[in-house]
Amino acid sequence: MGDLDRAIAQLRACRLIPETQVRELCYKARELLIEEGNVVCVDAPVTICGDIHGQFHDLMELFRVGGDVPDTNYLFMGDFVDRGFYSLESFLLLLCLKVRYPDRITLIRGNHESRQITTVYGFYDECIRKYGSANVWRYCCEVFDYLALGALVLGTSSELEPTGLAMNDSTQSTMPIDDVELETEVLNSKGEVTYSSYRPRQSASSDTSAENRNISPSGDIPSQAPLRTGAPGTGASGEGGGSYSSRTGAVLCVHGGLSPLIDTVDKIRLIDRKQEVPHEGAMCDLLWSDPDEIDGWGLSPRGAGFLFGGDIVKQFNYRNDLSLIARAHQLVMEGYKEMFDGGIVTVWSAPNYCYRCGNVASILELGEDTSNGGTVTRSNGDYGRSNGVMTGDKPGVRSPGRRYRVFEAAAQDTRGMPAKKPVADYFLPSQQAI
Amino acid sequence: MATDGLIARVLPTIDLSEGHTFLVPSKRINETDDVSEFLCSKAYVDIMTFLLQLNRSMFPAKFPDGRVQTWPLNGEAVEFSAPIRQLQQLLSKIEDLLDATPLEPGEWRYANGAFKVWHDKVKKETPSLLAECLPAEILHARSSDPDGPTAEVELTEYFLGSWGSRERMDYGTGHELSFLTFLGAIWKLNGFPKNSPGVEERTIVLGVIEPYLELMRAVIKKFKLEPAGSHGVWGLDDHSFIPYIFGSAQLGPPISDSDPVPETGSLSDVVNPHGVTKANVVEEERKVNMYFSAIGFINDVKKGPFWEHSQMLYDISGVQAGWAKINKGMIKMYNAEVLSKFPVVQHFRFGSLFSWDRHPSAIPPPPRIHSSSGQETRPRQVPTTTLQDPGPGTKAPWATASQSIPPPSAGTTAPWATARAGGGPSTTTRVPPVLPDTSRLPPGPMAPTRAPWASSQPAGPAPTGNPNDSTTKAPWAK
Repeated sequence: MGDLDRAIAQLRACRLIPETQVRELCYKARELLIEEGNVVCVDAPVTICGDIHGQFHDLMELFRVGGDVPDTNYLFMGDFVDRGFYSLESFLLLLCLKVRYPDRITLIRGNHESRQITTVYGFYDECIRKYGSANVWRYCCEVFDYLALGALVLGTSSELEPTGLAMNDSTQSTMPIDDVELETEVLNSKGEVTYSSYRPRQSASSDTSAENRNISPSGDIPSQAPLRTGAPGTGASGEGGGSYSSRTGAVLCVHGGLSPLIDTVDKIRLIDRKQEVPHEGAMCDLLWSDPDEIDGWGLSPRGAGFLFGGDIVKQFNYRNDLSLIARAHQLVMEGYKEMFDGGIVTVWSAPNYCYRCGNVASILELGEDTSNGGTVTRSNGDYGRSNGVMTGDKPGVRSPGRRYRVFEAAAQDTRGMPAKKPVADYFLPSQQAI
Repeated sequence: MATDGLIARVLPTIDLSEGHTFLVPSKRINETDDVSEFLCSKAYVDIMTFLLQLNRSMFPAKFPDGRVQTWPLNGEAVEFSAPIRQLQQLLSKIEDLLDATPLEPGEWRYANGAFKVWHDKVKKETPSLLAECLPAEILHARSSDPDGPTAEVELTEYFLGSWGSRERMDYGTGHELSFLTFLGAIWKLNGFPKNSPGVEERTIVLGVIEPYLELMRAVIKKFKLEPAGSHGVWGLDDHSFIPYIFGSAQLGPPISDSDPVPETGSLSDVVNPHGVTKANVVEEERKVNMYFSAIGFINDVKKGPFWEHSQMLYDISGVQAGWAKINKGMIKMYNAEVLSKFPVVQHFRFGSLFSWDRHPSAIPPPPRIHSSSGQETRPRQVPTTTLQDPGPGTKAPWATASQSIPPPSAGTTAPWATARAGGGPSTTTRVPPVLPDTSRLPPGPMAPTRAPWASSQPAGPAPTGNPNDSTTKAPWAK
């Protein structure tokens, strides 16, 4: 572990580790990943992250905002590499953390975790430039083949612990009144609440006619919301007890979206995933598809995967007892975007994407449901799972409480300029070099 | 340096009196292997000839009396002919359309849907714009066959391809190439006055191309167009290429009419290539130089260390052998990374002016040397060409403009996406039968992938019908 911790420290400082160490790391990572199913089960609390694309300094900002590993559990939904300048540093750090804390961090595959895509979008070039050969690229691609295709988050709480309040007993009386629960909260990178929404608390007997009450317009910081005082990430840990029992469905996390070939989560489990991402088929779709404001399915302008509409999401969620699909894959200017009545959310974690998009990034924290003493109903998305509370026509699958932490690009003044400039091929003194 | 017989080579013009048949431009590059055929075509030779001809004209001139004349932007030394002024008017009318197109509110994705509105306006106005700004004897030059098309059909193709991709809402070097070709087409049709070597060429660059680039920068900035085919930090520039060619020529050593294009050295006392990394130097030089003008735009839109977000330009700033060396490298790179890349040139359409026919002297064309050797460094199993538009997402055609649902932005396009069935990349996986059809492209180089529909969807603005469209429906979907 000593070596691994040293490697982590070195990568955190944005310094690469030697090629032999990369090789060893990738070998260990593969041993670990091969044991994971195509759909990894993850217990809440967990913090879900979207595309990183080699924006290393922003990944550090993400950890600052969301809490460090292993204090916070993380689930990264792929696209670690390409386009950015630090794909190697970013991916290798995440991989080190995975090997070091396998139960604390989950990595699933994005469409960029592919040989063909990385040769085009930069990661291959970066490996050549930084290591002088394609070896490291090859090691990394072998790891890509073993990454899970999705994850299922279980045991989420339908209710968020109001930020900061858990730290201060004297404020208990200011908790929202008993008939509503905090459903969504958006925090800026300073931990200030910029938006929250409540919904009626669900009891065993009442139906859920979720009528959201927005207590503060977006961008407005409500005075009753104190600044967050706890350690980063603790907001999602849902330590507070006493929440009412209400069942939340599982949350499916996948990089792109749904596939017309996949109608149950179990079908994902049947895929032989240990391969390069194919150009078509279920595996491809999971990594390439996008939700869109259409009915049914549409062909994707990306040329891979499909577009899928709100009806598809509703049916899929209903059939699989899911309350939410979390996915990444598309830049959203506000960092996250819920669609189709909250049935799917896009989480994007690369702020000011490509140095120019001007977007903010976000991560999504899902708290733990402690109402059953911490035991999780293991449904894994199967049919007819028992729940002990709701019966009948499944009216009671509630979406989990969702806390979005929004953050901006990391400050850039601390990055050092490289001492010398490698000469680009086309400009080498000797023509033979071309 | 041996004198090169090709020094004074210029793009040949067409003598219409000898009879000519215009053709409706058509797509010829359907699979990666077609690119090598393209590199042997008359069109390729013509494009490179025109580019090199313009490039040469931008080097400072050395006169017999020893006097040196440079060709800065906004300089006094060039005089614009009537055709150039007409083209400037054309651009300014398109700029007026831009100013008259307000942004659409409430966009949550990157690009703004108003781009499509502007694009539609340009398309709608194109016949009248071209009629106003091009002489009738050029625009309506007739085929020998009276029933054949006029030159307009070819000019329109390249003109329309110059304004970015409506569907993808992006812009890249393929669109830039289309504009260059548009100008080349006018040249071939004798649309520019005959003049001493270089005189008309440099007014094309300074008087038309630079204003075009400026206009496109305004378009990109206003609508937040995605880079088509951007490789992120690993490419030269998100959107354009030719300003780096002409801009480096502007700073090269002076040449006389008989000198070959220099391969090393710089004009004396000009800005050092390292200046691109200094914001204040860029701010000064962008007023007079196209290379710096392009870098100035990068600085305008990007936030972050230059060496990081533009590492290739940063590396090039370390070239010791002068601006001429940079110029030469840029041309090689353009050849290899633009003209030899399937994702870019697959959208190019070929007619009579830029013809798919094999050039008589084309053996294996020089560009293949770079492209193939460049590819050798690539792993075997991956396709040799890069993809296209990683960037942006494409707006789904069925999302109506009134909904203002912009395209999935900043998305990645599958490298194989644009390949047609049977024209897949040379990987073991064949192009799936359904997906290739998703990438039908409307006219114009780099034109976007057509987003096919779910079968029940109205075709919407989808530009071309695709008989092979078959939407897979989920079994449980209605």
